[in-house]
Amino acid sequence: MTHALRIGLLRLTDSAPVIIARNHGLFAQHGIAAEIVVSPSWSNIADGLAWRTLDAAVIFPPLAMMTALGRRGHAASLRPLCTLSRGGNTLVLRGTNPLATPWPTGPAGHQAFAQWQRGLGRRPRLAVVHMYSTHLLILRRFLRMIGVDMDSGIELVVMPPADMISALADRAIDGGCVGPSWGTEACLRGLGFLVGGSSTIVPGHLEKLLVVSDAAAGQADRLKAALGEAVSYCRAPANRHAIAQGLALPPEEGGLALPARATFATLDEKTTPEPVTFVAEEVTEADFDWITQDMFDLGWIDESEREAGPKR
Amino acid sequence: MTVLVADGNTRRARALSDDLRADPSLHVLSVPAGMALIDAVRQHQPDVVLVDMGRADRDALDSIRALSQPALERPVALFVDRDDVQLMETAFDIGICSYNVLDAPPDDVKPLLRAAIALYSRFQRTRGELTEAQRKLAEQKLVDQAKRLFMKNENATEDQAYRWFRRRAMQSARRIAAVAADYLSAHDRNDAP
Repeated sequence: MTHALRIGLLRLTDSAPVIIARNHGLFAQHGIAAEIVVSPSWSNIADGLAWRTLDAAVIFPPLAMMTALGRRGHAASLRPLCTLSRGGNTLVLRGTNPLATPWPTGPAGHQAFAQWQRGLGRRPRLAVVHMYSTHLLILRRFLRMIGVDMDSGIELVVMPPADMISALADRAIDGGCVGPSWGTEACLRGLGFLVGGSSTIVPGHLEKLLVVSDAAAGQADRLKAALGEAVSYCRAPANRHAIAQGLALPPEEGGLALPARATFATLDEKTTPEPVTFVAEEVTEADFDWITQDMFDLGWIDESEREAGPKR
Repeated sequence: MTVLVADGNTRRARALSDDLRADPSLHVLSVPAGMALIDAVRQHQPDVVLVDMGRADRDALDSIRALSQPALERPVALFVDRDDVQLMETAFDIGICSYNVLDAPPDDVKPLLRAAIALYSRFQRTRGELTEAQRKLAEQKLVDQAKRLFMKNENATEDQAYRWFRRRAMQSARRIAAVAADYLSAHDRNDAP
């Protein structure tokens, strides 16, 4: 490969390990020339991997699988390099929480939903960041836990994570499942309240992993080593403030223009029930079990693809 | 055939629409500013959508086929030409993609995509040239400022000042603008005339 390794990511807290690896010179120390491509949409990440304008990407497992399977028109030869984060997704709804706590499962949760919906006066419009996202699977499970059918009980919309803040403010959506730090930002701005999230629906689930294309295979070990060091840095509580400040910088200054206060909060389990946990490990089949089962239930993959899991 | 052009860059959208309108068989529409891409597709029901990949709301369109509820009467799919990988790579690299509305998939999407690629390349080249021109202007301004400061400090003529910077640049194998920037940093910029 003659060009720099192009790594695609979106403006999210869980992109931090890649940003840290670049800004702290960890890629360079491991002999990797990396170019970070901050993408406006998940489709750009998937297309970049499929059509070789990206060599690697920070991505959630369902989209990685669907891209590798060619469900968007062209199969991409991808392999999971390592995990980057677990958890961190938030379920945020607009308005006032009738319970003043995260919602319980079962009839009590259903009653809270019904009361909240009466206040809206319409079928709730709930957003996810991409159709093939862990967010959609988590939202679906949450709705099922409170006895609401995703097809008939809500209107599902797809929206980039950063756009959800203004959409909540404009009442264009009534809530959604979104990654860090956008859900926390919505709560801090008083635009919504937290009803649940990763920790209440699928505790410890794999959220972001780094996938690499064949073109990057030769650099996989060094890339993994650099990201391992970056994740260690991200896990240290003493570095949280610096990470949040760094991610708040504009992209031209090495950051992702994330909201600093909300980003800091998402890094600390004491300030949010839905913290991001950075982890650089091998991706296991167990990580994919619930994901592939839900994808199968939704009709996105068939039985053989479900059984193959991340080996795809 | 109805073509919807979805580009946040209004100049480029207009230029692309004008190019396409040269073909009388095409009915060309644009996404109005502020309207979500999916709403425009829902409203206009185009056969083909040409999308600037900088649009973050492309995700909504991209995933429409996965919705179990009918968000659109006619499904939409990313246009993929498996036989022409280079065309696809070029399109994605330059930041344009195309979707088909699948009720009656049109056969002649490739020429549309080619026209869009050509126009996007032209815009990219123009932007590159503009950036280069702006860089040269900024460098010239820096060199002029440094020369004036040198003339003041050394009681030198403009020609002597220029030759001093040029010599330094040659000795250090750097651009004159870089030497000028160093000179201004080493001296107080506020003293610069």
